[in-house]
Amino acid sequence: MPTLQPDKIISKNLSEKNGSDYESIKSLPVPPLQGAAWKWSCGLLMAYVIYGAFFIANGAVGFGKTGNPARIVFFHVPSAILSSVCYVIGTIYAVSYLWKSPKAEIDIRSSIAMELGFVFCILATVTGSIFAGAQWGSFWNWDPREISIVIMLLLYASYLVLRGAITDDWEKRARLCAVYAIVALIPAQFLIWVVPRIPAVASLHPTNVLVKPSGTSMSYKEVLYPAFIAFTMLYIWMTQLRIRAWNLTQSSISRKARA
Amino acid sequence: MGRPAHRIESRRVIEAKELEIAPKTHNFFSHGILAEAVSLLKKDLLAEIRTRVAICAVGVFAFSALLLIGLATASLKDTQTISTLSGISRPAWDATSKMSLLWVLLCFAAFAGLAHTFVHEEEAGTVLALRMNAAPESIYFGKFAFNMILLSGVAVCVTPVYVLLTQMPTGSIGLFVLLMGSGCFGLAGTATIIGAIAAKAGGSGALFGAIGLPLLVVFLMLLMNASSTLFTVDAAPVRCVRDIGGLLSYGILIAAVSVLTFKFVWED
Repeated sequence: MPTLQPDKIISKNLSEKNGSDYESIKSLPVPPLQGAAWKWSCGLLMAYVIYGAFFIANGAVGFGKTGNPARIVFFHVPSAILSSVCYVIGTIYAVSYLWKSPKAEIDIRSSIAMELGFVFCILATVTGSIFAGAQWGSFWNWDPREISIVIMLLLYASYLVLRGAITDDWEKRARLCAVYAIVALIPAQFLIWVVPRIPAVASLHPTNVLVKPSGTSMSYKEVLYPAFIAFTMLYIWMTQLRIRAWNLTQSSISRKARA
Repeated sequence: MGRPAHRIESRRVIEAKELEIAPKTHNFFSHGILAEAVSLLKKDLLAEIRTRVAICAVGVFAFSALLLIGLATASLKDTQTISTLSGISRPAWDATSKMSLLWVLLCFAAFAGLAHTFVHEEEAGTVLALRMNAAPESIYFGKFAFNMILLSGVAVCVTPVYVLLTQMPTGSIGLFVLLMGSGCFGLAGTATIIGAIAAKAGGSGALFGAIGLPLLVVFLMLLMNASSTLFTVDAAPVRCVRDIGGLLSYGILIAAVSVLTFKFVWED
């Protein structure tokens, strides 16, 4: 009759983990779209968007006397869309970590997507709130999309809380965070697609403006479409910066370990 | 660099080989997941009957919160109205508001007590034995059934008192029970997977609440939507099926995703 020897098994687990690939990663490969050219083109396009938002686009009808509050669309809508896209990107990395390749690199990429999503989510919330103050008379109206974005913010925050709470074992942290990201994808999808369309709560936000041909005027399209490209480029550039920052931290850690 | 893709799968087999016992194979119906889940549920119920830790935690929490809500809302009248931004004026303390407070109460009660199921296994050091003797899916189903029974029990005790205290109308009794059942299903499903994650993260109840409650906000919104249908006089059957079905489908989605991902939480 074999006897249980939990100590033996646990010590074996630990020794396996010590040889894991987290310490062995000196640096993550930075994605190919990098360098000064990328940074400058992103900056130029963003400068065009900022100029266009105030000088190319005309004031829109129905937005106060001047129509000026409508100009928030060039910054608010791309950040709101990016904040939900980042969550999906983070979850795709989480799925690939669990089922395909459990590597530290994938886990870090997932967490970077989540961190940036959090930043864009804050931007979307703040810009939206400023607009609501100017247009609807109150900075917070409990509009369905306002509720959605603030819950999205909570989901990101709790992902980061969970990540911060586990410090002893990177593998465990990666697995638990990946599972949490996948489970939280369900409410996240409900927030994006279902909640704004629940009939019981009337939304102040317009729906399907971007896909309707008559939704926006030509002067808006001239700025809005470049704005989407500019924000996407900004996201990619920020991802590269974050990876380079991670690489620097990692190399300083290994230098300290050697000394 | 990378570990083999099936490392997590084979951990149980490796452990069994080390101890020179044959690894178990599992199938849902023929001697497997269902039988294991039922025996785990029996074990948990027996332990609960002996110690009564979880039921006391959830029950005392629920009843104290019930009293607080009753006290705080005693002066509210059905006749007071508030006007919403979209221009509709509605009663401030109507049936839907009462229902939402009941569910806020149940959500917090669940989060006060349901973490116990996994934390207890970690503290007692019985995780390893459990991991070797049952498939992760069985563990999930067993724990989920236990949480569901506990939560339904609390709901059955608390709801009548709440209905009496706040004079909440129940609408059609059949639909009301269906709504409460679907709600308990979704809540138990969420609390089980989050409880497992929090227990593995070595966290306290604070972590459990912090990572669990944001997941419940959407669930509560669906619940409010369904309960406003419930309280609508002569609501079309299609609307009832759509709204209560929507609530139930959310619970089923959470449970399904939890079953798929539970093995990554459970086996390390």
